[in-house]
Amino acid sequence: MKFTSVLVTVVVGVLLQVALARFTVGGTWVFDLVLVAVVFAGLQWGPTAGMIGGTLGGLLQDLLSGTIAGVSGLAKTLVGFVAGLIGTQFVLTRAHGRSIIVAGCSIVHRVLMLALTGLIEQHWPGTTWGAMLAETIVNTAAGFVLFQLVATVPGLVARQRLGRRAGFGRRQW
Amino acid sequence: MIDRRTLALLVTLCLGQVLLISAQVQSQGGVPLLQVAAFDAFARVQRVTTAITDAVTGVWSGYFGLRGVARENAALRQQLLDMAVELQQQRAISSQVRSLEELLGLKAAVPVETVAARVIAGNITPGTLTVAIDRGTDDGLAPDMAVIGAEGVIGRVINPVAPHAATVQLLIDANAAAAIVFERSQTGAIAVGGQSDGTLRAEFVPVLADIEPGELVTTSGQDRVFPPGFPVGTVESISGAGTPNRTIRIRPAADFSHLDVVLVVLTPPPPLPAATEAR
Repeated sequence: MKFTSVLVTVVVGVLLQVALARFTVGGTWVFDLVLVAVVFAGLQWGPTAGMIGGTLGGLLQDLLSGTIAGVSGLAKTLVGFVAGLIGTQFVLTRAHGRSIIVAGCSIVHRVLMLALTGLIEQHWPGTTWGAMLAETIVNTAAGFVLFQLVATVPGLVARQRLGRRAGFGRRQW
Repeated sequence: MIDRRTLALLVTLCLGQVLLISAQVQSQGGVPLLQVAAFDAFARVQRVTTAITDAVTGVWSGYFGLRGVARENAALRQQLLDMAVELQQQRAISSQVRSLEELLGLKAAVPVETVAARVIAGNITPGTLTVAIDRGTDDGLAPDMAVIGAEGVIGRVINPVAPHAATVQLLIDANAAAAIVFERSQTGAIAVGGQSDGTLRAEFVPVLADIEPGELVTTSGQDRVFPPGFPVGTVESISGAGTPNRTIRIRPAADFSHLDVVLVVLTPPPPLPAATEAR
């Protein structure tokens, strides 16, 4: 059940990434919704789920983008594991607390990606702090929306159901 | 804190991926079969998601976003009129060129065969400027084919190429380059991507070459990927003029933020003259 949930989360992240990235090609706004999905899996279901989600999401990203398979996979495996570890060590229930973890993970992930690419290509790939900051902001915002939805939607649905039942009861009596 | 099983799984996953990376780095290649299979499978899903997003944006632009259509219509009519005049001028120039070519005994330019393709997905890995298109090997596509748009050069087809989908590396990507020629001065150079502001940088430009801002830059065909004569962009700025460290920035002609339909050039560029090849 947990594996299916992780798989669905990662696939939804990949689908959203490819669908939305089409509108931002060549723009300054860069985001990684697969990373947000991996951090979500880690915080929600623990370190094992985080690293499995990271491996699946990262490898899928590598295979689809035609780059060296394993680079994004390795970075996301480590980030997913760390996110899961943080989720088990600290009580993070509020959306803003969890989105701060997304922000931290975005920076760590970008640095890991740069380091791995630098090691493979034997030169430090060019990056700007502005691009890294923009990516962190967009990822954090996406994470905040996701965590807020997860926190409020089940409660809203339950309240609606209760309200419907109560209404039905009043009509009967 | 963490049980042994979790740690063992982490180490296994990391080691497995390190081995996967080293295998590809050593062989100087990717994992083509796996890549093509994954890309092809996902391209079908991407086509569905594209259809859904297009339907949503279509409903929005077709019913809700109709404000200003009359103004846009008038502007388009004017544009059509201007283009009709321009077309007549171009026709006149073309017939002049043809008669001159006949006079000089030159071979007529080979028309390029193209296939239209739709962009179905953006770059999945941030930092990699690629897009996926809905045409693949079944439509005659192969790696290193040029991709052009209405305004100019877009990029080239790279691996993985699946039967019904292909990856296009955009000209502004850090690993992309094209052989160019400055139209006014007829100076050859290489345009490379990877600039943070979305421009291209001209490399290998002779120090004494007279380049001016606003100059049109087209493909030269020397790279054997892009056919000659297609617009790449215009010279935006020149810094350090008169020094060996002169930096020439080119603003691409194509708008990479609104890619929808592109053309893939199926005809390979004509062979280079023997003298150029020997050099």
